[in-house]
Amino acid sequence: MTSRRGFLKAGGLAVFGIGLGGLPTFVTQAAAQIKQPGLFKRRKTLVCIFQRGAMDGLMAVTPFTDEYLKAARPTLFMSAAKSDTKKSLIDLDGKFGLHPSMSAFQSVFKDGRLGIVHGIGSPNNTRSHFDAQDYMESGTPFKKGTASGWLNRAVGLLGHDTATPFQGVSLTSSLPRSFYGDNPSVAISNLQDFNIQMRGNPSGANMAAKSFEDLYDQTTQGLLKDTGKDSFEAMNMLKKMDTKNYKPANNAQYPNTALGNSLKQIAQLIKMDVGLEVAFAESGGWDTHFNQGTDTGIFARNVNDLSESMVAFWNDMGTLQDDVTVMTMTEFGRTVKQNGTGGTDHGRASCNFILGNDVFGGKVHGKMNELAIENLEDGRDLAVTTDFRSVFSEVADKHLGINKDNILFPDWDGGHIGMMRG
Amino acid sequence: MISHIAIKPIIMKTLLRFFYLPFLLLTGVLLLSSFFGNKTSNLANAYKKAGLTDRQAALHLLNRFTFGPKPNDIEELLKIGTDKWFSQQLLAKFSDADLNSRLANYDAINLSNEEVNKIFPKNPQVLRMAIKDGFIDKDSVQTGDKKEYRNKLNAYMDSKGFRPTQELTRQFINQKILRAAYSENQLQEVLTDFWFNHFNVSLSKNDCAMYIPAYERDVIRPNVFGKFSNLLIATAKSPAMLFYLDNFSSVASNENEMAAMQKDAQNPKVKAALAKAQQNKNKRGLNENYAREVMELHTLGVDGGYTQSDVTQAARVLTGWTIYPMGTYGGGAAMLKQLDKLDASTLEKRGYVHDGDFLFVPNRHDKGDKVVLGKKFADGGYQEGVDLLNMLAHHPSTAKFICTKLAVRFVNDNPAQSIIDKMTKTFLAKDGDISAVLTTMVNAPEFWAKNSLDEKTKSPFELAISAVRALDANITQPYPLYTWINKMGQKVYYYQAPTGFPDKGQYWINTGALLNRMNFGLALAGQKISGVKINLAKLNNNHEPESTDAALRTYGKIILPERDLAHTIDRLTPFLNDPNLVQKVNQAASKNKPTSAMEQTDDEMMSGDSMVKTKPSAPLNKPTFANNEMLAQVVGVIIGAPEFQKR
Repeated sequence: MTSRRGFLKAGGLAVFGIGLGGLPTFVTQAAAQIKQPGLFKRRKTLVCIFQRGAMDGLMAVTPFTDEYLKAARPTLFMSAAKSDTKKSLIDLDGKFGLHPSMSAFQSVFKDGRLGIVHGIGSPNNTRSHFDAQDYMESGTPFKKGTASGWLNRAVGLLGHDTATPFQGVSLTSSLPRSFYGDNPSVAISNLQDFNIQMRGNPSGANMAAKSFEDLYDQTTQGLLKDTGKDSFEAMNMLKKMDTKNYKPANNAQYPNTALGNSLKQIAQLIKMDVGLEVAFAESGGWDTHFNQGTDTGIFARNVNDLSESMVAFWNDMGTLQDDVTVMTMTEFGRTVKQNGTGGTDHGRASCNFILGNDVFGGKVHGKMNELAIENLEDGRDLAVTTDFRSVFSEVADKHLGINKDNILFPDWDGGHIGMMRG
Repeated sequence: MISHIAIKPIIMKTLLRFFYLPFLLLTGVLLLSSFFGNKTSNLANAYKKAGLTDRQAALHLLNRFTFGPKPNDIEELLKIGTDKWFSQQLLAKFSDADLNSRLANYDAINLSNEEVNKIFPKNPQVLRMAIKDGFIDKDSVQTGDKKEYRNKLNAYMDSKGFRPTQELTRQFINQKILRAAYSENQLQEVLTDFWFNHFNVSLSKNDCAMYIPAYERDVIRPNVFGKFSNLLIATAKSPAMLFYLDNFSSVASNENEMAAMQKDAQNPKVKAALAKAQQNKNKRGLNENYAREVMELHTLGVDGGYTQSDVTQAARVLTGWTIYPMGTYGGGAAMLKQLDKLDASTLEKRGYVHDGDFLFVPNRHDKGDKVVLGKKFADGGYQEGVDLLNMLAHHPSTAKFICTKLAVRFVNDNPAQSIIDKMTKTFLAKDGDISAVLTTMVNAPEFWAKNSLDEKTKSPFELAISAVRALDANITQPYPLYTWINKMGQKVYYYQAPTGFPDKGQYWINTGALLNRMNFGLALAGQKISGVKINLAKLNNNHEPESTDAALRTYGKIILPERDLAHTIDRLTPFLNDPNLVQKVNQAASKNKPTSAMEQTDDEMMSGDSMVKTKPSAPLNKPTFANNEMLAQVVGVIIGAPEFQKR
C-alpha cells in the first residue's frame, strides 16, 4: 500500500518543479491550467452502460427487410419507408434501420464513430435477468461462484500503480457485480456527496473534516491511513472543481435522466484528470413485456434517453474524444414474436453500441440470418452469433491495451470480430 | 433447538481435557462448579497467559461475539464471568423481551413461505391477474396516466388482500437491524450473519427473494450452533437456495434416452419422439450451478480436491430436488393438482419426498450410476442427495475450509495455521459440531494473542450497529440506518454472488466508503438519522462535561473503552478548542435545526415503520448544556475515527 502512495504526485507536480526552476512564467501558468487540479496522467477511459432488463435489439436496430420479422410483429414492426402518420426507421445500410427515437446516433454512425454489433449475447441460454446479468458481469457465463467482476479484473490488468481512488468508478448507489473484486473501485451516486457533510453546518463539517484528516494521518493502521489520505486528497480535488455548476463543452445537452446525469458526471471526472480509466453507468426499464410501443411509448423513450445521453457525452468530450470509448451491454434480447400484451418476452441475442474513435464505426457488425423459424434459437429467439466476451475483450484490448484474456475472461478462448481499429 | 441441548457436555469435555481426569474424579462435583468461577476459569488462564487484563479480555469477547459493547457491558460480563458468559452465548436461551416488543409490529416476518406467496405476489403476477380479472385495461399499461394506473393497481391489490413485496423486504431488513442491536443472544445473531453470508442468497434475485425471510429464520438461525451437516442439508432443501442456485429446475438430462433413440431413428414413431426430445433438450436438463457451488463455496473449497466430473455427477445426484408447489397461480398450480390427486402413502411409495417446502420428484431424478469423489451413487432416489451432502459435510477439506473461514471471522484476517489446525481437529472429531469448534477456538492462545485484538475491520453493518450499541441508541425506525449502511458500501441481503461479502478489511475500506463512515458518525451523533434517538447526556449520567477536552476524554472512554486514546485526544484538542470554530459551529447549528426527514430518500412508506409516524421532537433545540453541538461533534468524530472502525 505504501508504494502505491509514492506515485500519487509524481505525475502532476513534477511539471511545477521544473517550471519553477527555468521555464518562462507563461509555460508554468499554462501547465498549471492544464494540470490543476488533477494530479494524474490522463489515460484512456472505457465507459460501460448496462441496460438492465434486456433491450429488444430487433426494435433498436431492425432488419427491416426481413418478412419473417414483419409477420411475427404485426403491431410492433416499423418500416424504413417514409410515412406521414408514423416516424419511420433510419435506414443505415439498406438492411438495418435505427429506431427513429435514436436519431442522435445518425451522425456519429455516418462519421464512422458508432459501431453496432447485432446478434451479440451469451453462450449460456438462461432467460433469467438475474442469471444472465450475473454471467455477463462476472464474465464467466457458466460459473456463478466467480468472485470478481470483469471490469474489476480489467482495472487490475491496466497495470497502473496509481493512488487515485477514481481509477474504477460506478455511478450507482452500490457497487455493481461488474466491479466486485480486489482491485480498487468505488460507487458514487453523486459527486457532490464525496465530501464530509453536516447538513446546514458548513463550519462544523469543515472542522470535522480537518479532525478526520488529522486522525487518519496519524493512525498506525496502514490501510486506514493510506485510504484516508487518498480520500481527503480526492475530496479536495473535487472541491476545487465546481461540480455543482458544471457546464458541458460544445453546448452538449445531457437529458435530465439518471443515465444523462451519470454520463455527465463521468465527463466531469475525465476532464478533472482524476485518473479515471473504467467507468460504469446503468440504464433501466428495458423489460418491455407490456405495450413497448413503436415510434412512441416506453421503448422509444428509453432509446431516446440512451442515444441522447451518449451523444451528449461524446460532444462534451470534444478534444478528448480520442481518449474515450463508450460501450453498451444488455443481458439478452427479446422474442422475435410479439406477445399477447403488446410487448416482447425474454429472448437470446440483442445488439450493442460502441462509440469512439477507435471503433470501426458506420457498420453493423455480426451475423444475422433471416428470422425464419428454423434459424431461431429454440425456435423463437434471435440466435447468438457473437459471444459478448469477444466484443468486450476486443474493446478492452484495442482501447485500454488489455490483452490478457485468460484473466479477463477465464474459460474463453474465442477471437475478435474486428469491430475496433488498430 | 435440539442442537442447544448438546452443548453443555461439549464444554465439559473441553474442560476435562485441561484438568486431568483422575484428579477430577477425586475432587468431585464441588470443584467442577468452581471451574465456572473466575479464579480457575479456562478462558482466564488463556488470556492471562497472553498478558491481557480481565477488562481487555472482556472487551475482546464482546468485540468478537457480539455486535459491539454497550456502555457497561464489560462490567456486566466480568460479573457473570468470562466462561459462563461464553457458554450462555452458546446456549442462546435469553428470552429477549425487549427485542420481541420491538419486533411485535412486524407481522410479515413470521409468515410461512406459502403465506408469503399468497400475500405478497410479485408485481408482474399482480399485473397479469389484474388484467385477467378485467381490473386494468392492458392497453393502459405504461401508456396511460401513470398515477391513475398505479391507483387502480393498488385498489386491485387491496381488494385481493395483496401487499407490495417491498413491505416484506423492508420488514425483513428492519428485523435484522433490530436483532443485531438488541438481542441478548448476540452470538446467535453474529453467527446467523456469518452462516447466511456463507450460504449466501440474494434479494436481488427476484425468484428467490420472497423465500429469504423464512430462510434466515427457519434454515439458518436454528442451526447456527449445531452440526454443520444439518445446516448444509437444510440449506440444500430450502426454496431460497433451490431458486438462487437453480437446482429447483435441474432435471435428469434426456441425452442418454436420445442416444438410444438415435439407433432406431428410422421408425417414424421413434423419430417423432426424438424430435420432441430434441426440443426439450434446451428447456429441461441438468443444471450444475448448485452442485458446483456447494463444493466450491459451501463445503470443500475451491482447492478441495474435486474435478469437473465430480460437479456434473453431483448435479445428477441432486436432480429431482425441487420445491413443493405453492400458491394458486404460476407454474405451481398444475403440479399441485397432480400431487393433490395422490395421497401421502402413494407418494411415498412412488419415491416422492415431501418435507415442508421441499419436494423430491422421482421422475426428474437421474437414475443412472454416478460417482462423486470416488463414491458410487446408484438408484437411491432422494437418499442419494442426502448421502452426498453428508459425505461433503464430513470431508477433511470441508473441515479445513469451514474452520479457516470461522477463524477469519472471529480471530483476524490472516489467522495462524496452528489455530485453524486445532479447530479442524475438533470439527472432524466432533462430527462438525460448530459449538465445539468455537469452544476450541476461544480456548486457543492464538485467539488471545495481541495481533488478534482490534484487528478486524468492521463491515459497514457492524460499524452502524456497534455505534448504535455504544451510544445506547433507541431505534424506532431502522430503515434509515440501512440506507446509511448501503452508502458505506454494504447492501445487506443484496450481495449478488454466491460467495457472500468478502470478510477482509481491504474490501470494506475503499475511498468513497471511508468518507461515508465519517459522515455516518457525524450524522448519528448529530441526531440527523431519523428513527434513531440518542441521549448523549444520559450516557454520562447527565453530567455535563466542563470543556470540549473533558468531553473528548469522557466520551472517548465510553465509546472506545480499553483503548489508548491519548494520541487521538492530543490531535483533536486543538481543532475542537479553536474558539472561532466553536462559535461558528454553534451559530450555524442554531440557524439550522435538524429535521426528521433527513436522509430518508425512500418515499415508499411501509407499514413496518408506520408505528413511528410521529416526528422526533427536535432534541437539540432545547439546550441541555451550552456546548451541545460541540458534544455531538466530538462524539461524531470519535465514531468516524480510525479506532472505531476496528474491533
